[in-house]
Amino acid sequence: MTDIVSLESLYKTYDGGVTALDGVTATFPAGSFTAVMGPSGSGKSTLLQCAAGLDRPTGGRVFIDGAELTATSDTAMTKFRRTRVGFVFQDYNLLPALTVEQNVVLPLRLAGRRADRLRVREILDRLGLGDRLGELPERLSGGQRQRVAIARALVAEPAVIFADEPTGALDLRSAREVLTLLRSIVHEHGRTVVMVTHDPVAAAYADSVLFLADGRLAGSLRAPTADAVAERLAHLGDRVGVAA
Amino acid sequence: MIAVALRNLRHRPGGFIATFLSAFLGAALIMAFASLIDTATGVDAASNESLVTTAGVGGGWCLVIVAFAVTSTLTLAVRQRDQQIALLRSVGATGPQVRRMIVGEALLVALLAAAVAVPVGWLLGRVLVKLLHNTGQVASTIDPAFGVTALSAGFGVTLLGSLAAAFATARRTSAHGRKKQRPLLRRIGAGLFLLIGTNCAILTATLMDGKGIDAMQTAGQAGIWASIGLALLAPELLRLVTAALGPVVRLFGAPGELALRGPRLSAAVMPVLLFTGIATGTVYMQGIEDRAAVGQIEPDYAQDIQTLNYVVVGMITLFVAIMLVNTLIAATTHRRREFAQQRLAGATRGQVTAMVALEGVLITATGVLGGLLASLFTILPFGSARADRIWPDASPAAFGIVAAIAVVLTASAVVQTTRRTLHGPATTAVRA
Ligand SMILES: Nc1ncnc2c1ncn2[C@@H]1O[C@H](COP(=O)(O)OP(=O)(O)OP(=O)(O)O)[C@@H](O)[C@H]1O
Ligand SMILES: [Mg+2]
Repeated sequence: MTDIVSLESLYKTYDGGVTALDGVTATFPAGSFTAVMGPSGSGKSTLLQCAAGLDRPTGGRVFIDGAELTATSDTAMTKFRRTRVGFVFQDYNLLPALTVEQNVVLPLRLAGRRADRLRVREILDRLGLGDRLGELPERLSGGQRQRVAIARALVAEPAVIFADEPTGALDLRSAREVLTLLRSIVHEHGRTVVMVTHDPVAAAYADSVLFLADGRLAGSLRAPTADAVAERLAHLGDRVGVAA
Repeated sequence: MIAVALRNLRHRPGGFIATFLSAFLGAALIMAFASLIDTATGVDAASNESLVTTAGVGGGWCLVIVAFAVTSTLTLAVRQRDQQIALLRSVGATGPQVRRMIVGEALLVALLAAAVAVPVGWLLGRVLVKLLHNTGQVASTIDPAFGVTALSAGFGVTLLGSLAAAFATARRTSAHGRKKQRPLLRRIGAGLFLLIGTNCAILTATLMDGKGIDAMQTAGQAGIWASIGLALLAPELLRLVTAALGPVVRLFGAPGELALRGPRLSAAVMPVLLFTGIATGTVYMQGIEDRAAVGQIEPDYAQDIQTLNYVVVGMITLFVAIMLVNTLIAATTHRRREFAQQRLAGATRGQVTAMVALEGVLITATGVLGGLLASLFTILPFGSARADRIWPDASPAAFGIVAAIAVVLTASAVVQTTRRTLHGPATTAVRA
């Protein structure tokens, strides 16, 4: 299996002097579904944003699909990102003035590509939004908005999809739907997904879990179950507590 | 809630700059003109009449423009914060509490602005009297005064205007959800102003025909009323121009599409329209007058009136120009989150800037075209009354210059603010 995403000793220090990433090296193989977990403030969002080219690490290198993202300008990074990387945010970040369909095709249009309307409809249909194409985001529920955001991340057929607490704002049922969807994207369509979550049940949908503490990797777990993840998390809390 | 208002002012002074500046400038101008009435007490009849007339005409125009400016900036400032207001509502603030906060903020800003305006108004008042001295309309022995009338008019108008604007805005915001503005009321207002403008234009062409320079009085007003009327129709005009220019804008790809679908910035159209309308109208009216006056015996006050006209209109133009930059900066800064979301969806900084520039084109085109239309309310009847020809025998160069100024003002304000707003990573900006 080739690695779609490869992170080489990433460091990130914010302006205030907070070190959010303290030398993280990790790879994500093609067709894998990985959950990233760790205590609040451990650097999960920072890791995802640096890996996706939304932010720049202070040190280290990011490769996506063989191309070094960190070696390019901001504009080049953005251009690369909109066709090769999908990102799903906890708070959706849909544009309020655009309809569901317009939101979904936006990355393609920004890339100057014609959107294949049939394909877009097909994706939205699959996500159960086939009859909401012309709706504005403010008239959708949280779960529906998150599905629109996922459709937007999918439409450019990216090499990898990053999701930062995609179920954080959803009820149990919507969360289950979104997780099942992410898993089917990986297992039926061969895509790669990296997802941050706080919920052991959500993490159990993934093939493996990566633990993060204080900006460093703190182990991993293959074929996770909710109980095993919860157990490790509790343990992680102890270790961080001892170290502090 | 007054405590919250105070904290808001201290925490985000930037959000109130536009309101403060327009209230400050307005208060200064009104104080300057009102101080002429202070000066007029106990002077000879001729001087008294000159002073009171100038105060009435100049002050009247300022009043309308100021009320307009304060209302629109305040509405903008409050609407920009509907998130904060929704948050306050959600933690249990009642409608009246939110209203008290908005009104409290507005009053504090207005009070501060009026206080700071006192020395400026005092100075401007002296300049006005000096000018009337020079033109001989007022005896040179009369000393400029600055007293109760100036202060009460300046503070009164600013505070009352802000209060009215704040009440209107607050009622709208504290209603359930975000209610649509009432377009009917706005349209009726627009119709009324346009009617007054038309009336002035007709008066100019009929009653003032052959009255020479005196026709300026009504002709100038016709253009100002029409400008205000059309400015109130800014949303409709912008929609019209957007529809007309849509195919061209779409040629620019995704930024063009976003520009067409984005929030309509009709608040920014108003100052462009007022500026273009008033400036164009005055410049051409003066041109017609200058050509008509060649070889004619003029009344000895002709020169005074011209100077005064220029002073008044110059001040209004400056005022409106500052308003324009203010409005655009406020409107653009407010869109920080929207820009960040676009960037997160894959827009480069260049594409966001291109989108904003295209919106700027739509705004400027609407304002300049509307202003041109409004200026005709001055130019056509005045030409007919003064020179017996409706279409002026003048080059379009002056209009070109006015339009160019509008374009440069809009473009520099929008693009520079956007640049600054786009600074830093989008992931941080989206949380702001
Ligand atoms: N824009 C920023 N500026 C300064 N410091 C930041 C910024 N973003 C994050 N941090 C800091 O970096 C550290 C890691 O933050 P990060 O958001 O990556 O944590 P996280 O693991 O995603 O936490 P959570 O589970 O609460 O979302 C924290 O200490 C945080 O305070
Ligand atoms: Mg996070």
